[in-house]
Amino acid sequence: MIDDKKNIRDEFDDEEAVSTKEMTLSFGPQHPSAHGVLHLLLGLQGEKVTWADPDIGYLHRGTEKIAENLLYHQFVPYTDRLDYMSSMSNNLGYVLAVEKVMDLEVPERAQYLRVLCAELSRLAGHLVCIGAWGVDLGAMTVLLYAFREREMIMDLFEMICGARMTLSYMRIGGVRWDANEEFLTKCKELMEYMPERIDEYERLITGNRVWIKRNKNVGIVSANDAIDLGLTGPNLRASGVPWDIRKDEPYLIYDKLDFEVPVGSVGDCFDRYLVRIAEMRQTIRIISQCLEKLPEGPVVVDMPEIVPPPKDEVYNNMEELIHHFKYVSHGFKVSEGEAYHAIEAPKGELGFYIKSNGGEKPERLKIRSPTFVNLQSTHHLAKGEYMADVVAIISSLDPVFGECDK
Amino acid sequence: MKKDYIKVVERDTPGVVDIIKKTLFVDFIKGMSLTIRYNFTRTISMQYPDKEKWIPYQRFRGAHTLNRDEQGRELCVACELCVKVCPTDCITVVPMEDDTGRGIADRVAKVWRVDLARCFFCGYCEDACPTTAVRLGRDYELACIKLEDSVRNKEQLLKPQQIPENFKGGMVVKARYERNKSGPKVKGNLFEKSDSYWWPIPKKCDDKCDNNGDGNPDKDK
Repeated sequence: MIDDKKNIRDEFDDEEAVSTKEMTLSFGPQHPSAHGVLHLLLGLQGEKVTWADPDIGYLHRGTEKIAENLLYHQFVPYTDRLDYMSSMSNNLGYVLAVEKVMDLEVPERAQYLRVLCAELSRLAGHLVCIGAWGVDLGAMTVLLYAFREREMIMDLFEMICGARMTLSYMRIGGVRWDANEEFLTKCKELMEYMPERIDEYERLITGNRVWIKRNKNVGIVSANDAIDLGLTGPNLRASGVPWDIRKDEPYLIYDKLDFEVPVGSVGDCFDRYLVRIAEMRQTIRIISQCLEKLPEGPVVVDMPEIVPPPKDEVYNNMEELIHHFKYVSHGFKVSEGEAYHAIEAPKGELGFYIKSNGGEKPERLKIRSPTFVNLQSTHHLAKGEYMADVVAIISSLDPVFGECDK
Repeated sequence: MKKDYIKVVERDTPGVVDIIKKTLFVDFIKGMSLTIRYNFTRTISMQYPDKEKWIPYQRFRGAHTLNRDEQGRELCVACELCVKVCPTDCITVVPMEDDTGRGIADRVAKVWRVDLARCFFCGYCEDACPTTAVRLGRDYELACIKLEDSVRNKEQLLKPQQIPENFKGGMVVKARYERNKSGPKVKGNLFEKSDSYWWPIPKKCDDKCDNNGDGNPDKDK
């Protein structure tokens, strides 16, 4: 890194006839255009960025260590706080990893509901990304419109699980609540007019000359570099790499659904924007199919040691009550072994690695969070660009610091 | 390109039409016409806290409440399952023996305290409770000036909820903003619904339609 910085510095010294003294600028953590608590150290040669160094850890809470001291089912609310813009995906990633260690298959209705909710949160996550990106580059309107639709998705989450952002909807062995009729009708309603709303965002910014000037050919990362840097999700696909875990390593019911994955070509900020917009349209297709195909049946797996008995029986039946006490106070044992399960979260590959020693608590839990890895490309993307373009680059990477700092 | 992957962008060099469009500011006109059109549509913002208030849906997980049964006895038997299951250790329960009929059993809670600043609002305590004593109610205005005010003890929690548990929520109601010595309060009137709502009203509407999702057909509209 340091050698790299030096080389670039020399390069710039040679190029610029009039070279000024290099300046180090702290961008964030209280900068209005820095997402969350991003602290970016920028080396500036005039208006040009010579190096960029993200300084992370302002939001570190030791989530991985906390997991080692909690029962398996108690950790789900902590995953909400990773990527708080799309909590459902984090819940899903964690429960799938635990289920992989246990070698557990959840009922079909639960699988459909999980996919449905994870895709709803992808929609919410991308809406925030595009809205915040717009407001960072001075287009206030798109933020207001995007948040209007996000509010409806928040309403849907409130209907199904009682929270708007910190959802804790998934549980090991299924989901915590069944979808009610109101949720399904409202969800269908939203999916009907969501395409029009996406058209509206496109009318506002896709063709807008300011938006194009600020994003086109800014922060280019080639396909090979993107793979080398470990980029995942929309940021990788914008560079033209066809890689999506939902397609290439399908989990749950993604192989039964008909959808396409948008891929960009150049790998600049504008491509990353277009990929997200196209992905939102595909997400609507997935949700509509889930709603159509949603089967009847139980939403939790029929295994009394993992899922406690329904509450009505706990209130009236002594044996069930004893079992309920045992479940709540001791949790359940997970067979010895280790597993890594990755899902396609809105920001990229979200993986949970769990090592179990046969007890009620994981021996070690590792979170591979997409933002943490995506953020290391900041230097590659920002070097040689103008200072003002760093804002667009950061927004296009869509970092969320809950999961970066963990 | 692999199956099921599509290219999103066609990077053409701008043609004559594009240049004409650019000189005529077509992109700006497109965007501006959209925002101007929205000036003449229904207002969707809620006048909170001055005139309106949001009543959450039934499953909403807000501040804790402790319930009583029909005879007014405390349902909590101080079994401490909520303490055990809480991921953040924000609940404190100290049991005591009391056979005067205060609770449904001889064992009642001497102390039942929850620190809402620590709480995740995950609802695990509600799931763990074997007697429906602890519920996460629909009270969501939890801001306080002093950190100690976020700790709620048994007396505060045993007060009946503002919104009854079987009340179907998910609506905006008329409310009044009040400021007194104990701080500002927004008092909502559950039976007076307000018109503002951000979900669009469906186009086709017969007399059975239900725009506000309250389960009652809106015949008066």
